[in-house]
Amino acid sequence: MYEVRFHGRGGQGAVMAAQALASAAHIEGNYGVAFPFFGAERRGAPVLAFTRVDKDRIYTKTQIYEPDYVVILDDRLIELVNVAQGLKEIAVAVVNSQKKPEELDLGIPIKTGVVDATSVALEVLGAPITNSSILGAFAKTTGEVKIESIEGGIRDIFGHRIGEELGEKNAKAARAAYEKTEVGTCRGERKMEVKKQWLPTYKELPLGAATRPMQTDAGLVGPGSFIDNKTGSWRTFKPVYDKDKCNMCRFCWFYCPEGCIYDKKEEMVFDFDYCKGCGICANECPKEAIEMVRD
Amino acid sequence: MVEKRVVTGNYAAAYGALLSRVDLIAAYPITPQTFVVEHASEFVNNGMLDAEFMRVESEHSAMSACVSATAAGARTFTATASQGLALMHEVLFIAGSAHLPIVMPVINRTVAGPIGIWAEHNDTMPQRDTGWLQCYIESNQEVLDMIIQAYKICEDKRVLLPMMVNLDAFILSHTVEPVEFPDIEDVDKFLPKYKPEHARLWPEDPMIIGSFSPPEYIQEIRYQTDESMNNSRKVIEEVNSDFAKAFRRDYYGMIEEYQTDDADAILITLGTVTSTARPIVDEYRDAGKKVGLVKLRFFRPYPTELIRKIAEKTKAIGVYDRAVSFGSGGPSWIDARSALYGYNIPVINFLAGLGGRDVMASDVRLMFDRTLEAAKEGKAKKDVVWIGTRGVEP
Repeated sequence: MYEVRFHGRGGQGAVMAAQALASAAHIEGNYGVAFPFFGAERRGAPVLAFTRVDKDRIYTKTQIYEPDYVVILDDRLIELVNVAQGLKEIAVAVVNSQKKPEELDLGIPIKTGVVDATSVALEVLGAPITNSSILGAFAKTTGEVKIESIEGGIRDIFGHRIGEELGEKNAKAARAAYEKTEVGTCRGERKMEVKKQWLPTYKELPLGAATRPMQTDAGLVGPGSFIDNKTGSWRTFKPVYDKDKCNMCRFCWFYCPEGCIYDKKEEMVFDFDYCKGCGICANECPKEAIEMVRD
Repeated sequence: MVEKRVVTGNYAAAYGALLSRVDLIAAYPITPQTFVVEHASEFVNNGMLDAEFMRVESEHSAMSACVSATAAGARTFTATASQGLALMHEVLFIAGSAHLPIVMPVINRTVAGPIGIWAEHNDTMPQRDTGWLQCYIESNQEVLDMIIQAYKICEDKRVLLPMMVNLDAFILSHTVEPVEFPDIEDVDKFLPKYKPEHARLWPEDPMIIGSFSPPEYIQEIRYQTDESMNNSRKVIEEVNSDFAKAFRRDYYGMIEEYQTDDADAILITLGTVTSTARPIVDEYRDAGKKVGLVKLRFFRPYPTELIRKIAEKTKAIGVYDRAVSFGSGGPSWIDARSALYGYNIPVINFLAGLGGRDVMASDVRLMFDRTLEAAKEGKAKKDVVWIGTRGVEP
């Protein structure tokens, strides 16, 4: 049996990648299971998905804590989350990055396959959606599954979800990434911090979890805890504001779901600590004074 | 042609409705059930399923629509979870007392408060007295197969009751695993069209359903429901055998036993924890520890006689619950203890995975260890054991 953890951002399709890998395993006569991290998914936020593969039926329905493989759909996540959590020395990483394996530091020196999946996706699909390309790199790096099966798995899962034509295109992207994958060893110098969680006993937990602002060893909880939780890190695109085009209609201020745009009378000001880059402001702006650009 | 694909539990549930050729679907989306409704609406929209898809404004309306349409003679389908099931509560009784064979997958999810979206059985367990059969599921294949079987069981003249097919939130609903899809023609042979007799709102054959009933009648109506529920045990076994013959998949009816014959300690589980426990039974057996597993497939009706037979061949029983009746214990354990009144063996309750906390292999090992210990001692150290609760000794 082998277990895989996918690191992506909400909306990048990490779950579909995990499912397509399960389907690829199924094509080879193995038993494949895939599931998302059981959480509320949010676009742009770091998310996890998992695949378990064995030659026989898998009964275990627990989550995965010590994966054999870790797949990273976006190398900037390495700065945000502990991608090395639970990894053993024999684990293998597959990363979407423009860097070489030796230039990456995953906090543990392990065999690492790298492909610039974003460029492959832009070339083949015309969009920076890397969930299919990364699977090509997985096949090349790990040898656990044939690229033909990956193509089949993508046709199945993507095809059923977004149509046959796009399924075929995504299979092509996987093949292209497979050809371009470079395998080496990453560095392991980075100190990976295990994010502390507030885990009170039932006696320490306020009755019914009615919580006042409270400092814990895992940071602030209760009202105002957003001060610690800077959701701007979820952003992939950033609004760029052109004051000259703005007519101060304040539509952006009105529509911003995060309350991240301030009306400063002469101009609108954006709070990048919390702006998640959803792009609603740019979409609503009647003067095209806001443009979304890659952050 | 029989097709095998990796799909989610939610897809399997919706596809089960398609293969059962339901006439009407009325459902309101709620996490983690939403995909059941989405897939079902796609099937109708794409012409794969010839059914009325009714968009309703709440779960209360969804169940009301299913009650009315089933009373009119249709085969109906809906799905819900958590708060949605709670909102349906009063209408569930009507389906049960009017003997309307509605089939509904429930994606077991924590009922607030506080609000949570993960697996807990505190949505379906409180519905045990509404006159609905309740079946708990272990795999996505079983989801698909049980939707089909459920219609056959519920529409049987000896039963004529509705059924909840319960699957754990995310652990099945959002997890893909291989599922074999039977041919719809074979399903047609197994599950013929619903022929309503006792309740059908046909203008040429007028009847009143659910009319005002004074005490002179209600007690008999309650007895009817109780009798149907008791009758359903035999029908469940029959339908399971027929299904196994037709589709080569046997679920063993009310309960499934695994390595129970010479077991010193037996654990009764329901839902997906059963699946996690299977390899652990193998592990213990390899180490020479005689443990066994009983998968409680049906909670309503309760398999009273079968559980008594289990007690006759073992020294201690553990019962796993994913819900708690505050101040008492887990609902499945309460029923096991009631069934085993007069049997002089320890029956321990294990509570774990509440609010969707992962039930890990180590948790299941603790359940087996504790039950083995009770088998050896002849008594339990503790009746109700909370596993993995911070600040509480298990």
